[in-house]
Amino acid sequence: MFNQAHSERVAFIFDRLEIRGFSWWNEVSGRGSESGEPRMGTHTWPELNSSALTIIPDEKVDPLLEAIRKLDEVNKEVGIRAFVMNVEKQY
Amino acid sequence: MSIYKTAVNKPITTLMVFIGVIVLGIYSLIYLPVDLFPEMDPPYISVITSYPGANASDIEVNITRPMEDAFNSIDNLKEITSTSSDNLSVIFLEFEWESDLNEASNGIRDAIDLMYDYLPDGVSRPTIFKFDLSMMPIAVYAFKAGDSYLGLEQILEEAVVNPLNRIDGIGSVMVIGTPQRRIYVEADPVKLDAYNLTIEQIGNIIQAENLDMPSGNIKMGKMDYQLRVEGEVRESQELENLVVGSFQGGVVLLKDVAVVRDTTKDLMLESRIQGSQGVRMMVMKQSGANTVKVADQVRKTIENLKKNLPPDVEVLEVMDSSEFISDSVTNLTQTMLWALFFVVVVVLFFLGKWRATFIVVLTIPISLIVSFIYLFATGGSLNIISLASLSIALGMVVDDAIVVLENITRHIERGTSPREAAIYATNEVWLSVIITTLVIVAVFFPLTLVGGMTGVLFKQLGWIVSITVTTSTLAAITLTPMLASKLLGLKTKRRVPLPFSHEKVVEPFLTWVEDFYEKTLRFALLHKKLVLILALVIFVGSLFLARFVSSEFIPESDEAQVSVEIELTTGLRVEETIKVADRIEGIIGERYPEAEIHAMMAGSDDEGGMAGLFGQSGSNTISVMMRLSPRDERERSVWAIADDFRDQLNQIPEVVEYTVSTGGMNMGGTSVDVEIFGYDFEVTSRLANELSEKIEAIPGASDVKVSRKDDRPELQVVLDRKKMAESGLNTAMVSAALRNRVAGMTASIFREEGEEYDIVVRFGEEFRSSISDLESFSITSPMGTRVKLGEIGEVQEYWNPPNIERKRRERVVTVSAVPSGVALGDLAQEINAVVARADVPQGIIINVGGAYEEMMDSFMDLGLLLLISLILVFLVMASQFESFVMPFVIMFSIPFSFTGVILALLITNTTLSVIAGLGAVLLIGIVVKNGIVLVDYINLMRDRGYALNEAIAVSGRLRLRPVLMTAFTTILAMVPMALSRGEGSEIWSPMGISLIGGLVFSTIVTMVLVPVVYGIFSRRGERDKMRKVREKFTFLNEHND
Repeated sequence: MFNQAHSERVAFIFDRLEIRGFSWWNEVSGRGSESGEPRMGTHTWPELNSSALTIIPDEKVDPLLEAIRKLDEVNKEVGIRAFVMNVEKQY
Repeated sequence: MSIYKTAVNKPITTLMVFIGVIVLGIYSLIYLPVDLFPEMDPPYISVITSYPGANASDIEVNITRPMEDAFNSIDNLKEITSTSSDNLSVIFLEFEWESDLNEASNGIRDAIDLMYDYLPDGVSRPTIFKFDLSMMPIAVYAFKAGDSYLGLEQILEEAVVNPLNRIDGIGSVMVIGTPQRRIYVEADPVKLDAYNLTIEQIGNIIQAENLDMPSGNIKMGKMDYQLRVEGEVRESQELENLVVGSFQGGVVLLKDVAVVRDTTKDLMLESRIQGSQGVRMMVMKQSGANTVKVADQVRKTIENLKKNLPPDVEVLEVMDSSEFISDSVTNLTQTMLWALFFVVVVVLFFLGKWRATFIVVLTIPISLIVSFIYLFATGGSLNIISLASLSIALGMVVDDAIVVLENITRHIERGTSPREAAIYATNEVWLSVIITTLVIVAVFFPLTLVGGMTGVLFKQLGWIVSITVTTSTLAAITLTPMLASKLLGLKTKRRVPLPFSHEKVVEPFLTWVEDFYEKTLRFALLHKKLVLILALVIFVGSLFLARFVSSEFIPESDEAQVSVEIELTTGLRVEETIKVADRIEGIIGERYPEAEIHAMMAGSDDEGGMAGLFGQSGSNTISVMMRLSPRDERERSVWAIADDFRDQLNQIPEVVEYTVSTGGMNMGGTSVDVEIFGYDFEVTSRLANELSEKIEAIPGASDVKVSRKDDRPELQVVLDRKKMAESGLNTAMVSAALRNRVAGMTASIFREEGEEYDIVVRFGEEFRSSISDLESFSITSPMGTRVKLGEIGEVQEYWNPPNIERKRRERVVTVSAVPSGVALGDLAQEINAVVARADVPQGIIINVGGAYEEMMDSFMDLGLLLLISLILVFLVMASQFESFVMPFVIMFSIPFSFTGVILALLITNTTLSVIAGLGAVLLIGIVVKNGIVLVDYINLMRDRGYALNEAIAVSGRLRLRPVLMTAFTTILAMVPMALSRGEGSEIWSPMGISLIGGLVFSTIVTMVLVPVVYGIFSRRGERDKMRKVREKFTFLNEHND
């Protein structure tokens, strides 16, 4: 989940870490559980998020999270979050 | 894909589109004609019918009345006025502005066709005459001559008029007051009688003698000769030796009975330039030609032609309308440049960054240039209306770009890459940018729908502002993000700001202003009642003050021209008129050193033609034209000089009436006319004279005139038909004989150097200057006997009845007055009071009209405009906020903008003219815009969960900068316009003044009162949105098992 203003940088991170496969949703609305501005794409909360889902081997998870943390450090206001889940089965 | 995203992703395409627009705009600008006002066809058509031999009342009954009735049903006809005088009926039809005059004249033609058969026999076919602005001279030149005065007509015709006529765009060139050479043979009636000769005989002899005749060919030897009889005189003095008869065996030569004078035509008109003899030349342009260009070429051509003129002929420029036009245009252009400068300064002050300022300011030329394309495409011109419109728009076109840029900067400062920031930031604000533009368009667009003369003037204003503002919005959501993505970089802030940098100087100051404002706002929110009462007091107080603002139609401008029409005692001969003219000339020389050039005409030229249509002329009229030194080089204004001139004229006993007018191109006219409708001449004339006396007593009323002229003295020959018949004469024979003796008989033509001059035979002037002289004229009867005029009739003095004027198909007398030193509205009020007190006989209707009526019409139009603008603005706002309450909250600031206008007008002592009024109407859009920005943000903050008062205070603080910025750009852009004191500034500076006054005041009000009113209206329902939602969704509270 990230502010759509981060789109290009997220794509760049994927490239740098040689992550080929991902799914990408543009213009996703939502709000954070604890902090951060809601991103509703409305007049009140005009900004919007995008979200990306990528399935990667375990060894790539930490570098990715690290890259994302660095990106977030640039400016907390813009906002980016990453969540890791296990893939149980695969076709 | 959205437009701003495309723009950012394809920067080159975007750039090319805008460069294309600029190129087109510059092309249009080069080919735009320059004029003072937008082109407008005055909707007047006159129909002229002559019926020889009928007197004024015959004409009225038999011609004017039936024709008026026939014309009455023509489409778009506004008013019919007519003048019936001896032999002539002139009907003047006024149509609605912008109606199709070709269609109207077709209608007139149809009406004439229908009723022509019912007119009396002998009535000429009515002539339809369309008035055209191109008949007004664009330049007047004067030619002063010494020795060559007599030949001036010829010299000018060849050396000046013909070359001028070749200039592209010249309509016509007219020379007035040239002396015309004429050869008079003036006979002594006593000697004629003694030698048994008559005028007719002499005339026939001259005709018979002054002759060249080819008489065939003669073949002699090898040659073929042409045979000619050459009898034409080579010198005018040869005429003296013509044999006119024989008497007692000897021959009678012409010089025995008459004097031959080779001279100028009898004096009917004396034309003087700077006190010496000279002539005037008027240059008219073709309709649609560029006044400035044509006048420039005329000036250059005349400069070149000077060397072809004899050394004693001096050329002076009396009037050049192009000079005023180009001065005004230059002036306005300067005003615009200053406005541009101020806008740049304001933007730089608030943004503190050169690149950002550049991006914002770039929208100005682009938006303005588009309006040139519009003007070019619609065949408009660069004139003071279009330039003033651009000036007004200038401060508003940056607003959108500022909003967009500000948001982009905010994103970039958060660390987003400029390209993404440009796209997403524009996405966030583009809708509200469009809405605010819509509000402005909602106010300016109705201007294009107004009718009447005001409509013609303000159509351009409406279109230009609507177009520029729309363009600026388009530029703001395409060009601005594109440039921002390219020019704004991710710069790390300088660690230590320089001592005099923006951050060190301006930032703390702005923060201080914000702190102060927030404190004020919080205080106001806690004391709502106090604020409301204060506001109410200010508003009611200003309404009370409004009574001290006087009103006028269109402000007059100092065009450094004074023209005066003076009428002396009716019937005065031209020689006497010239004596008075001499005295007036003396006064001018003595009292008005400001007059650079003065030209004077006394009497009338019967061949003046056109000139006679516009003003009355006669042997008793004098017209004076003065050209003053430029405005900044003299102390007295043109009005002070005009007033002084009026005082001087009052002291000359021969002067019966006069009109002193200032400036040649005054649009609306300035008179207040009291129209007295009634059939009875006696009653209406008496009432008119009574009223005119009373009006003259009103301070500030000058040039008071009664339109119905005094009876004019005439000599009439009353013939006794019986006595005539006894001598075998009839009326036609007698009147022809009289004409030959007095006016003269054109016997033949004298030729010299290819030019022809009339030879006129008549009695010497000393033999025809009393009634007894006339009665002793002898007329030869067909029987060959001589009869004295006194034997067959008598000469009586007689008073010619006045012309009969009609308006709306009723007889009318108009008493008109021109304000001097007071405003038109005030004078009209005083006159209304006089009229109300007057003792009006039964059956007589009085109406106060003239320019005053037009002014009231225009104010009505403005009022309607105000209403339409209000409704449209309400529509836009209500749909934006999805609320009926919010528009009202914002509109609370509108009345206070009028308070500001009233105060500004009072402080600067400006009158409320149509232009200042228009400024007040335009304020609605600009004022509301600020309110929208603020209220929108308060709504936003409340949606984000802030409490009411907190939301108001926080958003007030956050929105202060943008509101101040847009307000300051608009206000400062208007300052040069309001302060301008150059040529023509009188016309537009009131608009600047009223806009600034209204804006300053309403900005303050918007920032304090609107939040307070918002607080009041939000108490119920709006206040706690959360609770409302809870009430709506009750499902969680139900089914609690």
